[in-house]
Amino acid sequence: MEKEKAIKIIENYISRMPSMPTTVAKVLKICNDPQTSPVDLNQVISLDPVLMGKVMRLINSAYYSLPNQITSLVRAIIMLGLNTVKNLALSTAVLGSLGKGSDFQALNMEGFWRHSICVGVTAKLIAKHRRVDAKLCDEYFMAGLLHDLGKIPLNNRFADLYVRAIAVTDREHLPLYQAEEKALGLNHEEAGKLIVESWKLGRNIIDVVSFHHNQESYAGDNCELVSTVNVANYFANTYEIGFSGDRYPGQLAPAVMGDLGIDWDFLEGLEDSVNGEIEKAQIFLQVAD
Amino acid sequence: MADRRDDIRLRFWGVRGSIPCPGPETVKYGGNTACLELRFGEEERLIIIDAGSGIRELGNYLMKHDLPKGAIKTKIYLTHTHWDHIMGFPFFTPNFIPGSEIDIYGPVSYEDDTLDKIVGGQLSYRYFPIRQSELAAKIQYFNLKEGSFDLGDDLWVTTKFLNHPILVLGYRFQYRGKVICTAYDTEPFRNVFAQSPDSPGYDEEAVREGELAAQEENEKVLQFLSGADVLIHDSQYTQAEYLASRLGWGHSSFEYAINSACKAGVKKLLLFHHDPLRSDQELDDLHEKYNSIVEGRTDLEVEIAREGMEVEI
Repeated sequence: MEKEKAIKIIENYISRMPSMPTTVAKVLKICNDPQTSPVDLNQVISLDPVLMGKVMRLINSAYYSLPNQITSLVRAIIMLGLNTVKNLALSTAVLGSLGKGSDFQALNMEGFWRHSICVGVTAKLIAKHRRVDAKLCDEYFMAGLLHDLGKIPLNNRFADLYVRAIAVTDREHLPLYQAEEKALGLNHEEAGKLIVESWKLGRNIIDVVSFHHNQESYAGDNCELVSTVNVANYFANTYEIGFSGDRYPGQLAPAVMGDLGIDWDFLEGLEDSVNGEIEKAQIFLQVAD
Repeated sequence: MADRRDDIRLRFWGVRGSIPCPGPETVKYGGNTACLELRFGEEERLIIIDAGSGIRELGNYLMKHDLPKGAIKTKIYLTHTHWDHIMGFPFFTPNFIPGSEIDIYGPVSYEDDTLDKIVGGQLSYRYFPIRQSELAAKIQYFNLKEGSFDLGDDLWVTTKFLNHPILVLGYRFQYRGKVICTAYDTEPFRNVFAQSPDSPGYDEEAVREGELAAQEENEKVLQFLSGADVLIHDSQYTQAEYLASRLGWGHSSFEYAINSACKAGVKKLLLFHHDPLRSDQELDDLHEKYNSIVEGRTDLEVEIAREGMEVEI
């Protein structure tokens, strides 16, 4: 497929990207409750990369003359107000969800969701371990949660080609982003960049989305954040917590972990906490029939 | 005749919140919903804030007072699009007069809708016998965000988002060294994430961040009001009513309005957006009560806004 044509299709898709199937029922339940709990609303949004991105887009839009980028969902909810956030969540939820099954899609959305949460939680745990300012830890979570956003349009708007891309990774043992380039003419970093730039999510998130596989070519100011998500992503793929299509991710550059002051033993030690967080999230998202 | 070159003059045409409430209990303060007439300088340049039911009477006044001098050209600044702030618009007579030019500014909460559709949409056969496209006036809509805007002839308006269930703008008009501000409909920002440590899902960082965010947002509002000669502030409830069952409804208490005005160094506070259930007698009593508390402790002048009240700065 021609790259320009693919870009056009993705750009058209951005404004109507729906929620994750894993969260949509809970979003509807929370938002249709006249006594919506802000704590629940905060939690369900933070478990959905599309919703999280859309709320951050709204608060950082030209509506507010803000001196700094807002990166905290708690702050965004207080400033925007519950109704506005509920309305946004509901209007996203009624766009339908991204489909549960894998019949027509290469990536199963349940697996993709687990992967996204895993990378978010892991990035935050690494940041905490490194004694990053508590206020910035949410930014690490958000960056991890959103890093693979670009796969959503690829998986949903180019389903056949994406099945082929994943088959190429399996057959040729290639990292997924390279297989995507072969099949589609662009990779999920480029697709994701289109989304987060369109949503004006701030340099930090744009850098993570654009460079989480190509850190060696990154020379910006958010090195620690990009490295952390890069490592968290590698950890999620290696431990197969969730599945995001990358069965053969490239090796991490050797210096990355050293620069962050962590090692593989530390990451191994995170597995239980990460799985515990995902399990808690799943219990929270369960909606009784 | 006094020199009016630098004056701002304000007149209330509607002071009530939520719904018009005419009747024997509301004769003194009035039953119409929000509408303010502002006049600047000796040219008597006209700016209108809000198009609640009070704008009907203002329209009639303009027909007598302004139209004989020339076509009516004005800007209407809507604080928000809740019904009580836009419901009078179809009954604003200058809409029907050829030559009228009316620019309408306001915030829009949900991006899919336009101000034209929300406000002008009231003029459709479903609600009203005349459609917007049949109006003789030239009406234009402008979606407003936070910012500072030069309106010409030394008049500036600065806008600030306040705290209400939909987007609401406070307006700060500045004219030749004088300032008039609105802060309605709004309630204090509060930490909606405040929880006791033993509640399920307790998140210490969220509680802390929420506390900080609420404080900072309230501080920004105070800065916005800072040093105003006149402040028109939401005071739909008493603090006791507010705390008992009105948290999150988007309105302030008398106490909060008075405290904010004091902190912001405001000279004159006009309490506004009266609850439809509030009788003249109750408003008189509240006026007396709060004035006796404030008196001697601050230079702040506190009045209760009344339909027909005129204030000159």
